[in-house]
Amino acid sequence: MKWLKKSSVVLSSLVLTSVVAAGCGGNNAANSPAGTAQPGSAASSGLKPYEVVMVFPDAPQNDNQRVQDAMNDYLAKTYPEMNMTVKLNPIDWGAWSDKTNLMMASGDKMDLLFTADWLGFQQQVTKGGLLPLDDLLAKYGPDIEAVEKDYHGPAKRGGKLYGIHTHQELGGAQGVYLNKELVDKYNFDLTALKSGKVEDLEPMLQTIKENEPGITPLVAPSFPLEAYYSSTNLDSIVSIAAINTVGTAADDYTVINSYTTPRYMELAKLTNKWYKAGYINKDALTPGLDAWKKIQAGKGFAFVSDMDIIADMEIGKAAVSPNGSIKAGREMLQIPLNIDRLQTGKMTATMYAISKSSEDPERAMMLLNLFYKDKELLTLFNFGIEGTHYVLKDGQVALPEGKTTDNVGYYHDIMWQLGNQMLNYTRVGEDPNKYQNYEKFNEQVSSNPSRIFGFVFDPEPVKNELISIDNANKTFVDGLKSGQLDPEESLPKMLEKQKVAGADKVIAEAQKQLDAWLAENGKK
Amino acid sequence: MEKKRTNPIILIVLSLFSLACLIPFWLVFMISVADEDWVTANGYSFWPGKFSLVAYQYLFEDAGKILRAYGVSASVTLIGVVVSLFVTSAMAYALSRKEFPLRGALSFYILITMLFSGGLLPWYLVYTRFLHVQDTLMALIIPGLIGGFNVIIMRTFFTNSIPPSLIDSSQIDGAGEFRTYFSIILPLSLPVMATIGLFTTVSYWNDWFTSLVFIQNEKLFSLQYLLTKTLMNASFLQTIANKAYSSTAQVTTPLESIRMAMAMIAIGPLVLVFPFLQKYFVKGLTVGAVKG
Repeated sequence: MKWLKKSSVVLSSLVLTSVVAAGCGGNNAANSPAGTAQPGSAASSGLKPYEVVMVFPDAPQNDNQRVQDAMNDYLAKTYPEMNMTVKLNPIDWGAWSDKTNLMMASGDKMDLLFTADWLGFQQQVTKGGLLPLDDLLAKYGPDIEAVEKDYHGPAKRGGKLYGIHTHQELGGAQGVYLNKELVDKYNFDLTALKSGKVEDLEPMLQTIKENEPGITPLVAPSFPLEAYYSSTNLDSIVSIAAINTVGTAADDYTVINSYTTPRYMELAKLTNKWYKAGYINKDALTPGLDAWKKIQAGKGFAFVSDMDIIADMEIGKAAVSPNGSIKAGREMLQIPLNIDRLQTGKMTATMYAISKSSEDPERAMMLLNLFYKDKELLTLFNFGIEGTHYVLKDGQVALPEGKTTDNVGYYHDIMWQLGNQMLNYTRVGEDPNKYQNYEKFNEQVSSNPSRIFGFVFDPEPVKNELISIDNANKTFVDGLKSGQLDPEESLPKMLEKQKVAGADKVIAEAQKQLDAWLAENGKK
Repeated sequence: MEKKRTNPIILIVLSLFSLACLIPFWLVFMISVADEDWVTANGYSFWPGKFSLVAYQYLFEDAGKILRAYGVSASVTLIGVVVSLFVTSAMAYALSRKEFPLRGALSFYILITMLFSGGLLPWYLVYTRFLHVQDTLMALIIPGLIGGFNVIIMRTFFTNSIPPSLIDSSQIDGAGEFRTYFSIILPLSLPVMATIGLFTTVSYWNDWFTSLVFIQNEKLFSLQYLLTKTLMNASFLQTIANKAYSSTAQVTTPLESIRMAMAMIAIGPLVLVFPFLQKYFVKGLTVGAVKG
C-alpha cells in the first residue's frame, strides 16, 4: 500500500499546482495589452486604449488569432485616434444560445454582439441585456445611417433602438429549384410556372415519377407550406397571428389565424396528395437530412426553397442558379414563385447589438460603424489575410494555390452577419455583379412594403399563450408540411388545440396592438 | 436436471437482450464504413451495398484534432477518476465511522446537494469569477469529483461490509487513522471502488456539457464535445435554414459516415474499461478478516 500513499500525495500535489497555475494563468488572454497602438496618437485623441470584444456565431477558425492581430495592426495604422483593438470571440452555432445566455446573465465583458429575432433578440431586450443605441448611433454611426436610416423601426422596442441591421438584401425570393438535366431530357415547359403557383409543378413531378425510378420528384425537407405559403399569403405578426394579403383589400388590417386561410388548406391537401402519390420522399422529417445532398447524389429532381438573388428576377422566370449549381454539383435552374414584400421581420433577422456589459459603448459603436465604411477591415474579417487565406483573381476572392476550405485556416461564409455587405468582394464562381444585383433587388423589395411594415408586436402580454400554441403546433405542423397527415382530419384537431392554448387571445392582442399602431401612424 | 431445463430460456432472453444492446452498435459501425453517396441515396442499413473507408481516412488525416481531443478526454478521465475515488472514499469513510462527530450534519449536507442544485448561472459564476478555471482542464475535472449519491453508496458499503471490530483491532495494533484507511479499508473495498470507478469513468468520458459551458479554446475540446458540437451545429443550422439565410448562409453538414466513424472511435475506451474492472466485482472479501 506504500505506492498508493505515495501516488496520492503526488496526485493531490499535482492537482493543487494545476489549480494554482490555472488561477494565475487563466485570465491572461482577457487583459493582454494592445501592443500595436502608437502611443503618441492616443494621447492626442485623449482616448484610453480599449479592446472591443466581438461575439458572433461561427465555426472556430484555426487562424482566428492571426486575423485578429492583422485587424488590430490595421486599426492602429489607419485609425490611431480611436485607439482601439478588437477581440474576435466566435461561438459555435450549436453552443450559441447556451453560451450567450450565460455570458449575458453573468455580465461577462462583451461589446458587439450578433443578434437576431431567431436568436432571442426580444428576450435579450426584455432581460435588459442590451443597450439602447439611439444616441450612440447619432454620434458615431454616420456610415451606418448612410445606408440603413430607413430600416431602424423594426429593431425598436419601447421606442428605443436596440439593434443595427446589417446592410444586405432586404428580402428574398422563394421558388422551386429544378435539376436542369432532367428538365432538358423531358423538355418540360416551364412557362406554366409564370402563374407563381406551386401547383403547376405537378405534371412534371408525375412525369419524373413515372419515368425515373429511383429519383425523388420533390425532395424534402423544404415544403410548399414552409416559406412559400407564408411569404406569398401573409404579413406575419407573431406565431399564428397574421394578415391575409391574398384576396383582401390593401387597407384591410384584420388579424387572422394563419392556419385558417383557404390557401393553407389547399396547399396542405396538395402536399398530402403528392406524398400519397410518392412524389415526396418518405424520410422528409428525419433530422439531419439535407435536400442538396440528395440532389447531389443524383436522387432528386425538384425542391421548393429560397432562391439565389440574381439579376432581373421575376416570378416564373427560369435561370441557372449559381449557388445552387455549386451546392448540387450539377446545373440547377431556379424559378421564383414569389418575391418578398418588405417585411418587418426581415429587418431584425441579422443585427449587431451592444451589450449592457460593454465598458465603452462609444468605442463599440465606432468599430461597428467602420464595418459599414471600411472595405479593408471588413475583408479582413470575412476573408482573412490576403496571400495567406485568399488571393484576388480579377477582383474576386479565391483560395490560395493548393489550399482547400478545410486547410486554409480561415474560411467562413458569414458576410451576411456584419456591416455593409455590399462592400464585400465576391468569391470566384459567384456572379461578379452579385451585390449590384442585391441593390437592384432591394429596390424591387422596398418599393413593395408589407401592409404593416414597421409594426412590432410586443409578445409580453401573451407570452404563455405563445408557448402553449407552439407546443400545440408541434404535434401537427411537421406532419402537415411533409404531407404525411391528412389535413381534412388533422387541421381541425390542430385548430382545436390552438384554441385551447389561447389562440383567440393572441389574435385579439395582435389586433389591439396593431390598431393602436395604425392610429399612431395615421393609417386608419 | 430440473434446473438445467430453465437454462435455455434464460439463455434466449439474455441473448435477445444482448442483441438489443449490440444492434445499434452494429448499425453505427456499418454506416461508418459505408459509402457516403450510398447512404445518402438509400438511408441507413445493416449491410450497406457499398463499402468505403473514406470516413476513417478523413479522420486519420484530421488526426491532430481528434488525437488532441482524445488526449484531453483521456487525461481528464484518468485524473478525474483517481482523484474522485480518493476524495469520495475518504469522505464516505469518515461518514461511516460512528465516532465522527459531524456525521449527521455532513450527511444532511450531502443529501441537500443531491436534492437541490445551485443552477447553471451560479455554477458558471463561481467557476469563472472565483475559481477562474474557464478554459482549463480543471473546469472539466472539478465538477465530477464528488457525487452525493456515490458518497452514500460508499458509506453504506463501509458500514455494512467492514466490521467495526476490524478497525478497533487495527487501532489496538497501533495503526493511526490514515494507516487504517490506507492499509485496511482501501484494500477491502475494491468492489465498491471498481463500481464507483466505473460510474465516474463513464460520466467523465461522456461529459460534453461542461466543455460547452467553460471551454472556448479549441485545443481543450474533449472528444465527446467535438462530436456533440458537429451534431449540434448541423441540427441548429438546419432549424434556422428556413428562417434566415438559406440563400446566403452556405451550410455544410458533416458527412453521415464521418459522424458515425467519430462515434465508433469515441466508444472505444469504454468498451475496454469494463472487462478489466470485472475481476474486482467479487464478494466475500471480509470473510475471515476478523478473528472470531
